[in-house]
Amino acid sequence: MTVIDLITRVDAICKKYEKYDIDKQKELNLIGDDAFARLFAGFESETDALVQKWEAASTEKNRATVVAINAEIRRTKARLLEEIPKLHRLALKKVKGLSKEELEARGDLVSALKEKIESIPDGSATGPEQSTGWAASASRTGIKIDTNSGGRFTGEYFQRTEESGKFRQEYEMRKLKQDEGLDFIAEGLDTLKSMAHDLNEELDRQVPLMDEIDDKVDKASSDIKSTNARLKDTLRSSRNFCIDIILMCIVLGIAAYLY
Amino acid sequence: MASSDPEKLMSKADKLTKLTLTRWSADWRSAAGLYEQAANAFRLAKEYEKAKLAFEKASKAQEMLSSPWDAAKHMESAGAVAKELGNWNEVADFYRRASNLYIECGRSQPASDALAKGARALEETVPDEAVQLYTEACSILEEDGKEQMAFDLYRAAATIYIKLEKYPDAATILLRLGLAADNCKAVNSQCKAYLGAIIVYLYAQDFKQAEKCYNDCSQIDAFLRSDQNRFASKLLSAYTEGDIEEIKRLVQSSTVSNLDHMIIRLARKLPTGDLSALKAYSGKEQEEPLDEDDLT
Repeated sequence: MTVIDLITRVDAICKKYEKYDIDKQKELNLIGDDAFARLFAGFESETDALVQKWEAASTEKNRATVVAINAEIRRTKARLLEEIPKLHRLALKKVKGLSKEELEARGDLVSALKEKIESIPDGSATGPEQSTGWAASASRTGIKIDTNSGGRFTGEYFQRTEESGKFRQEYEMRKLKQDEGLDFIAEGLDTLKSMAHDLNEELDRQVPLMDEIDDKVDKASSDIKSTNARLKDTLRSSRNFCIDIILMCIVLGIAAYLY
Repeated sequence: MASSDPEKLMSKADKLTKLTLTRWSADWRSAAGLYEQAANAFRLAKEYEKAKLAFEKASKAQEMLSSPWDAAKHMESAGAVAKELGNWNEVADFYRRASNLYIECGRSQPASDALAKGARALEETVPDEAVQLYTEACSILEEDGKEQMAFDLYRAAATIYIKLEKYPDAATILLRLGLAADNCKAVNSQCKAYLGAIIVYLYAQDFKQAEKCYNDCSQIDAFLRSDQNRFASKLLSAYTEGDIEEIKRLVQSSTVSNLDHMIIRLARKLPTGDLSALKAYSGKEQEEPLDEDDLT
């Protein structure tokens, strides 16, 4: 181990222990004092520890350790954030021997501490974005394609790596494109539906007309049949081609007139 | 005979029909034929006044021959010629007479067709008369139970009213169309008619009427289950919220594009007028009871 390493290690250890010393000193000073200061001191120490852990995580090469450290950071953050309201309430309580300005300052201290805790990156910085994306896709209730699996990916188990982030982005883009395509199809189907309905009504309208035509043509054909029969009887007497041809021409003329 | 002078034909026919000492009964049959020829010849020669007269006489001749069908046909031709001349009163008159003759034959479809033709001829110039003719045509068809054919006529009448900007009348006609559609179970046309009426009321900024109309139509099962109903409810709720963007987005949808052209044009121009006034109106209705409570 080189000297430099030794020195840095010693420095780190001293710093750690210095902190503890100061805390002990503070506690000795404040034991007769209020609960707020004690709690606040505790919070501060834990926050500093978190920051250190994050720094360690960012330098760590091993993915698994990064995962573990991030998880721990997240858990601690969640715990601290839960305790913050208690701290806040303590801050607002009046304590004897404390000036009014200090009381107000305590409130500010609490909120500053809260922001500091929240700002500690814990590897799920895009967590809120993910959750809103998921909510947005859930609200598009028209087409439900696999919305369940979207939620599981925001859990702690699936850590964010670069590849997974890109994959998620691509997945979202594809989903958007699919939704656009489906909207387009839906519009086309709407048009088809209305056209089909109109066709239906038009055909319904034409049914009685066709029936009428049917009746009339039936009547006309029966008339022609009876006329033919009568003509046959009349013509039986004289067999003459001319009359046949003339009658044929007359019938054709009537047919042409009708059409 | 086609090369004969139409004037000569006319005079010949007139002579046939006039009763004189030598002629005890008018020969309507040949007169009718001659009148028709003369009329056609006049029409070709573009002498519309004379053609019209000839057609009238031909029609009368056919009437005398107790063939109302031919008489009606001649009347229609006379009406068409009168349209060329621009005698709008006569046009309406001729077509009405033709329609009556068709009814005499017992054929309602051609009767309403004749009235529709007259209405179409008068659309540009005397739209009120045209609308009258359309409504008469519709009632003829409805009496005969042939409401299906009346749809087009109702739609045309509504279009004329919209052009005249008589929106309550247009909406009324659309509701009548819905009624006719209901009688022949044409659900799609019925729903489209009701939606059209609601849009016309909204365009005329008569929000109360539109709401009343919507409530009335919701009583009808077929409308309740339809796409048009959902669209109407979305539109009315967007109106009550005064959300202009939402309204504009809604009217771009395909439901509106399936309606009649005139109604699509109206819908695209929505929202008209002061939405905030509508909002204030609907808000006021809720505030007034509170005020009374306060006073007590």
